[in-house]
Amino acid sequence: MNRLKLTGRPADHRSSLIVTALSAAFGVALVQATSYMATMVTADDAGSFASVQLMLSMVSGVFVVIAVYVGAIVTANTFATIIAGRTRTIALMRLIGSTASAQRRAVAREGLLIGLAGSLLGGIVGFLVALVALRIAVLAGAVPDLPYAFADLYLVLPLLCVVVATWASSWVGSRRVLSVTPIQATGTVQEASREETLKRPFRNAFAAIMFYGGLLLLAGGVALGLFSPFGFIVAFLGGIVSFTGFVTGAHVFMPPVLRVVGRLMGNSPSARMATENATRYPERSTRTTIGIVIGVTLITTFAVASEGFLAMLLGSPENQPQDAEEVYEILYIIVGVFSALIGFSAIIAAFGMVNNLSLSVFQRTRELGLLRALGFTSRQVRAMVVAESAQMTVAAVGTGLLLGIFYGWAGAQSLLGQLNEGPVLVWPSVPWPLLAALVVAAAALTFGAAQVPVRRATRISPVLALSID
Amino acid sequence: MSFNHAEAGLVARVSHLTKSYGTGSSQVTALDDVSIGIRQGEFTAIMGPSGSGKSTLMHIMAGLDSPTSGRAWLGDTEITELGDTELTVLRRRRIGFVFQSFNLVPTLDIRGNIHLPFELDGRMPSTTEKAWISDLIQSLGLADRLAHRPHELSGGQQQRVAIARALAARPDLVFADEPTGNLDSRTGREVLSLLAAASRDYGQSIAMVTHDPIAASYADRILFLADGRVVEEQGKSSAEDISRYMLGMEQNA
Repeated sequence: MNRLKLTGRPADHRSSLIVTALSAAFGVALVQATSYMATMVTADDAGSFASVQLMLSMVSGVFVVIAVYVGAIVTANTFATIIAGRTRTIALMRLIGSTASAQRRAVAREGLLIGLAGSLLGGIVGFLVALVALRIAVLAGAVPDLPYAFADLYLVLPLLCVVVATWASSWVGSRRVLSVTPIQATGTVQEASREETLKRPFRNAFAAIMFYGGLLLLAGGVALGLFSPFGFIVAFLGGIVSFTGFVTGAHVFMPPVLRVVGRLMGNSPSARMATENATRYPERSTRTTIGIVIGVTLITTFAVASEGFLAMLLGSPENQPQDAEEVYEILYIIVGVFSALIGFSAIIAAFGMVNNLSLSVFQRTRELGLLRALGFTSRQVRAMVVAESAQMTVAAVGTGLLLGIFYGWAGAQSLLGQLNEGPVLVWPSVPWPLLAALVVAAAALTFGAAQVPVRRATRISPVLALSID
Repeated sequence: MSFNHAEAGLVARVSHLTKSYGTGSSQVTALDDVSIGIRQGEFTAIMGPSGSGKSTLMHIMAGLDSPTSGRAWLGDTEITELGDTELTVLRRRRIGFVFQSFNLVPTLDIRGNIHLPFELDGRMPSTTEKAWISDLIQSLGLADRLAHRPHELSGGQQQRVAIARALAARPDLVFADEPTGNLDSRTGREVLSLLAAASRDYGQSIAMVTHDPIAASYADRILFLADGRVVEEQGKSSAEDISRYMLGMEQNA
């Protein structure tokens, strides 16, 4: 018997494939870089190779996990959006006699295939990029030529992670398949797909406990940090716990932020319609923005914390200015590398946003046609889509900045509070160049993300609203 | 153009309108040299079987589509000369729509949907307009539904919201495209009575496209289209007469 297959358009999965490939490429390249660095560090002392490699692997593992995690959120989101657009087809299948779970399995199978294809593609690209980059660096004389293990068994790990994450997120994202009823295939059902903001008492309670508990721990760590260096460890834990709480409960936090930002967009008809659209599916908008929030928060945290550290060093009298300058330079390089590594997950998240906006315009074809028929000019439609994009970007980057400044300050305070023998208060120091860079990136993302959907939206003919599909 | 539409009592008019799709042997002619006028303050039905060109005619008259040749006017404005933005603004201010599938904006509540024409125009309704809108809401029985979302309403209620939206800005002409196509017959009759009342009581000009003889029997005047041509024009008729004519048309074809 032939398996019933959902007739997905290939374009549906393009972005999932790109996201998957990006994560895989990132992971593989990082593993190779780690292997090289371990070889470099232990060039003189071959005995300690294993332990150095373990340590480096753990550090790069964290970055890979962040990237895969963000990629998984994006993929789950994309799948949920695709399912919303396929409701009619799924309903038809159900009408003919396919079970809901069979339909969902079919979607998950698509996820597995994309995971495999994406990680294979990304793995090859990442492998080659790392190889070529290192060759260039060696030829340029920047790094020594060492016989490092470029085809490590570890390379398989990130690929495996990516496949499993994509598969799992397609499963999570296809939850809505179960709520499609066969009757929806008969067509007269009005678009009532306002995503039921599922009441999830368990998840919400978990998020609240993590968030507030983590904040409490963080506050305790900061207080302890005034007297003991252990404060930092406590605060660090508190930071991780509370941020996990924030991400878990983002569907509660983000919609109000989106609304507030929407109000700032002004009172023009396009801006007001855009606000309605961005808050129409709170879950979907949340998932779209959370990846960017995570990326921006992490980058800002590192930058603010190290800036605080520097301010402290430069401010204390017993440090020589030369010393400070040296530390300054090293710290800046570290922050730069870390930012680039975390920034990669922000790029993945940005892909997710572009895709989400495109799909939502595609699924609103009829509604946009209606607006055109009732008198929305194509310029107003354009303004509306750009405003939607801006709203999501501003909300995500703004939230990430605020969280990052707070966490960065807490980190610096708990680390440095007792440094000069006595309780000191550290003011949150904001790294302005980073802030400026983020604002520029946000603006670029806003307009970049809007390009494809705008083209699609302004091409929609008003006649579409009158046709019966 | 020396022809004065207002004096002639016409709110809209098309002259020698032709619309064809495709080229060469695969060319399909949807409209073939059609010239009609819609009278001011009347409820006009445009009837015809599927593929008769009635929808295409309405799209062109409403500024949603452009003809291959010929001209169309709304009042004294020649709409076949206008660009996309001008047409859009014209639709926004001077044309109302009632669709078969209601087409309300799902994110807006009922009040928001009724105010949409003003919202799109970027202005608040004036005091007179506000009074008019609350009159409409009362007479359409929507007063206790204003804060609901479209999907919480029945089909008939949704169509009444669409009628309120179409009449809110007092457009020159309201186009109704099979407005009862998605409704049961009792609700459909209610909706048709409302449209007829809007024309009779407020002097609203309405052009309704339909293939349903019962719907057409509510109109003051009926234009019959077949194969892209106007084949007959009748005054107010009973559903039986209209059906008989339609059947005759089918048999002659």
